[in-house]
Amino acid sequence: MNSISCADGQPMEAILERHPREEASLIQVLQDVHRAYNYLPCDVLVQVAEALDVPVAKVFSVATFYKAFSLDPQGKTIIKVCTGTACHIRGSGQVIEEITRQLGIGPGQTTSDMGFTLKTVNCVGACAMAPVLIVGDQVHGGVKPAKVAKALNQEGPRDAH
Amino acid sequence: MNTLIVNGRHVKAREGAMLLEVIREAGVSLPTLCDHAALEPWGGCRLCLVDVTRNEWDGWAKMVVSCMFPAEDGLIVRTDSQRVVETRKVVLDLLLARCPDTPLVQKLARDHGIEQTSYQPNPEPTDCVLCGLCTRVCDHIGVSAIATVNRGAGREVAPPFHEAPPDCIGCLACAEICPTSCIPFTASDSKRTIWGKTFEMVRCTLCGRAFITKEQAAFYDGRNGVPASYFDTCDECKRKAQAKQFSRLSAGAGR
Repeated sequence: MNSISCADGQPMEAILERHPREEASLIQVLQDVHRAYNYLPCDVLVQVAEALDVPVAKVFSVATFYKAFSLDPQGKTIIKVCTGTACHIRGSGQVIEEITRQLGIGPGQTTSDMGFTLKTVNCVGACAMAPVLIVGDQVHGGVKPAKVAKALNQEGPRDAH
Repeated sequence: MNTLIVNGRHVKAREGAMLLEVIREAGVSLPTLCDHAALEPWGGCRLCLVDVTRNEWDGWAKMVVSCMFPAEDGLIVRTDSQRVVETRKVVLDLLLARCPDTPLVQKLARDHGIEQTSYQPNPEPTDCVLCGLCTRVCDHIGVSAIATVNRGAGREVAPPFHEAPPDCIGCLACAEICPTSCIPFTASDSKRTIWGKTFEMVRCTLCGRAFITKEQAAFYDGRNGVPASYFDTCDECKRKAQAKQFSRLSAGAGR
């Protein structure tokens, strides 16, 4: 089980108030929880199951099905590197290598100061801009390894690696 | 009553029946893994594929899973058309790649002319065919202790958080219904263990045999009018008591 981060329970109450207490609200509630905590803490999933009267197994099934949900704590800024066909051909591999070199994390990993999480995605639908790098909300097109440092610096302090 | 043509033969179908039932009643065998009489059809294993067409479709036919396709009047069904046979072989070929060591999958594949998978065999062989029977029977009972987790190649059946499931009542229905018997459990006279959870047993007050778990007795207590006292005695002792009563009654009636 992952760690607990909702001792006060405040965000949970607000989230549950926004949605009807029924099974159909499950994904919206999970999205709100993910926004509030930046991941899905296991004890919160149990609370969601109780509040919506859905079996915990179902909640866990949904939470593990969607890539948008993470059961591990995420960094403050999410870095997404597109590895779709166009981006792959135009060098997304080197972009990932450069990020790994600078931050010391591979795809799916988070820096020890919880600053960045690196993810690979299969296609963001902007193939004309390949290779695409998304840092937080900022989309960078035509990224070369030399541009990675600048893209990362815009978002926050770099890890000490 | 609906009338259909299955492999050239006219057959009658009961109202509300699905194609699979009608096809099997007509004596045509179709392989299935995810079908079970006690559960709603699911269409998960894709082995019961058939071609359906109608006279007015001008030769156009579509492939459907027969377990979920209503047996409508005037349907023309083929279970042995070339594309159906070939598609079923692809499904079995993929299943054999996933479960290369599973006797049931090996047998089904061999029955359809596949000795070895043409794909790369799974480096981590599993016996689970992901037919969903275990999770569906668990839902059906009303427990929902297990579900499928993750997706794509990483999909598996598991309890929440991969820990001993709090909702499990130890009924073993999931293990019993599994077509490949791939859900491990242990059952002794005093304890049952499944999904990493150990259960204490309830003993029959007459013969002393352990017959259900305490959690099962608690779960069924009060449901559908079942009183708690129902679990004082095991099925066998109940049968014996009933037989005794019957023989007493019939002896009385003979007089």
